Amino acid sequence: MQKRTLVTRRAALITGAASIAAPFVTTTPGFGQTGPIKIAGLVSLTGSGSPFGPNSKLAHQAVVDQVNAAGGLLGRKIEYIAEDDQTNAEAGVRAARKLIDADKVQAIMSVWASAVGSAVLPLCWESKVMLLGISAADSIAEMPHHGYFVRTQPHTELQAKEFGRFILAQGGKNIYLTMPQTPFTETVFKTIRATVEPKGVKVASMIIDGKKTSFRSEIDEVMRTNPDMFMMGGYLAENIVMSKDIFRANYKGKIFGFAYGITPAFIEGAGKEASEGIYGVAEPSPAGGSSAYAKLKALVKKDTLDTYICQAYDHANLVILAMAKAKDPTGTGVRDNIRKIANNDDAMKVDNALDGLKAIADGKEIKYAGASGPCKFSDIGNIIEVAFRTTQVKDGKLVEVKS
Amino acid sequence: MEKLVQLSLNGLMAGAVLAVPAIGLTMIYAVLRFVNFSVAAHMAVGAYAGYMLNVWTGLPAPIAIVGAFISAGGVGIATDHLALRPMRGYSALTIAIASIALNVMIESAIRFGFGGRPRDYAIPLRRDWTFGFLHVGPQQIDNFGIAVIAMIILFLFLALTFTGKAMRAVADNPMLADSKGIDPDRMARLAVGIGMGLAGIGGMLVGLDTSIDPLVGFRAILSVFAAAVVGGLGSIPGAVVGGIAIGLAEELSLLAMPATYKSVVGFLAILVVLTLRPQGLLGARA
Repeated sequence: MQKRTLVTRRAALITGAASIAAPFVTTTPGFGQTGPIKIAGLVSLTGSGSPFGPNSKLAHQAVVDQVNAAGGLLGRKIEYIAEDDQTNAEAGVRAARKLIDADKVQAIMSVWASAVGSAVLPLCWESKVMLLGISAADSIAEMPHHGYFVRTQPHTELQAKEFGRFILAQGGKNIYLTMPQTPFTETVFKTIRATVEPKGVKVASMIIDGKKTSFRSEIDEVMRTNPDMFMMGGYLAENIVMSKDIFRANYKGKIFGFAYGITPAFIEGAGKEASEGIYGVAEPSPAGGSSAYAKLKALVKKDTLDTYICQAYDHANLVILAMAKAKDPTGTGVRDNIRKIANNDDAMKVDNALDGLKAIADGKEIKYAGASGPCKFSDIGNIIEVAFRTTQVKDGKLVEVKS
Repeated sequence: MEKLVQLSLNGLMAGAVLAVPAIGLTMIYAVLRFVNFSVAAHMAVGAYAGYMLNVWTGLPAPIAIVGAFISAGGVGIATDHLALRPMRGYSALTIAIASIALNVMIESAIRFGFGGRPRDYAIPLRRDWTFGFLHVGPQQIDNFGIAVIAMIILFLFLALTFTGKAMRAVADNPMLADSKGIDPDRMARLAVGIGMGLAGIGGMLVGLDTSIDPLVGFRAILSVFAAAVVGGLGSIPGAVVGGIAIGLAEELSLLAMPATYKSVVGFLAILVVLTLRPQGLLGARA
């Protein structure tokens, strides 16, 4: 005879109530969450972004250590976790999944490559995790991210306009643009054309296969048009190969590229002869004269800082201050409060998390002004105010030049 | 017409360099009957060994390339013994997949030791030579010459020496070779050593023309694999023909399609050959 299982009305009510309450028990802050507040850096320790990722990690950790040493955030320690995205979308998604699902971080900071930012952002907004990016592709901010995204790097269109200004300032008449396939290649080409063609500049362009080991035939194609300016718009690896190939082809015009691809590592890889005279354009200029910049220099014990370490420093400060302002150490808390501490020009200026936390505890309104710039964000998460600088390789070293 | 000739010259130069690791891949396949994808990582091993000899000890590049061959060959024998030999009884597909894992491990080890930043050999960067409407780089000529010399030495070894003939016998019929007293295990080790050594030479040749990083072989592996398949997996002359065919096809593709799709040529070549002539241009085991 089959045994019957009796379910009483009281048991059913308890089970039902528990089911409804379960999600709140695990997600409501301050209820059952007394451990550390977890934030993460998804940085490029390998691949094309590897010249910058280690510094981002260094800046994040330094800010977190500073805040923890002063008593933490909202009475809790902050735990910082760094993952390597390998400057690769697939590896970036795997790392982000680990950070979100296993580590339960509330904010992910300083994603560098646009391909990684594009791939990771949907995971973030679905999990209500805030993403603070460097990734510049216009399309990222145009995703339906529900506010869970801001970036301190000027978006692609702004950078491309800066390229257009640079070309006109240098007197370019016949230019050739090359870039590998990226989420922002079309935008860059289109914007440069729109900026310089009305001024009578002739423009040709080519999207290259960045995975190849030689670009000799592509350079032959460039040389056939006899350009007076050549844009080598790749990342580190392809720029090294291309600069050697165009040197061998005896090109005499001006060569320029994205500043992130014209770095000391580029000079080392390409060699002094092939890299000499090449311009790095559209690099967001760090706020070199700001108090935040000076504090970061002291904190990480470096004499000069590039824009990316400055942006990483700002990301960590912004996340911590937004959580404090919200009294809610979650991604949603950051989303709802980041503009309150970043865009409020009338409030008390602060340049680091410690001063900001003290001011918030005293009930004051604050405006964070960072090492990378003013850090003000539009509704879709783009940086609003930005200053650019141009660099050039001279005698094997990168120097800032007027353009 | 001028463009066609220049692209063909570029393709010939690139194809000769491509053929060297393709011979390594096909040689290992001929004896062991599986595709060893860790050829990519061994290209990097050779490139970094050559870098150490050239930059750290000051040896000229043509001598350092001998070190690249020995180092990549030695690492190839060691990694095969440790990681792949215990799997000999499994299917070719299983071992090929294991070789991909091995490839990732070796590349990661190189990155751990040397970091990810690109490095340059201590050789002068020279301008191209121009002959009428044609131009060619001195480094391209050097690389072409080294590739041809490596191939000639290999062909002489296989055709004239007892060990070379024994290796061909094992590739042709391992059981018959065994019955004649040829040790198939020894021949397998030798095939892996020479094959990976050739991959190491290929890695250094690519690096001499560009720069090196842990993924120097990974970026070339599709073209290398395509060259071996097009020529006929297991056929050493086929790998030479396949390498030049892929080199030419990749460069000449620029006449018909945008440069961004250059990598498609390798996939397309594999697809066409496997569909129309699965044994490759020269057939297997030539």
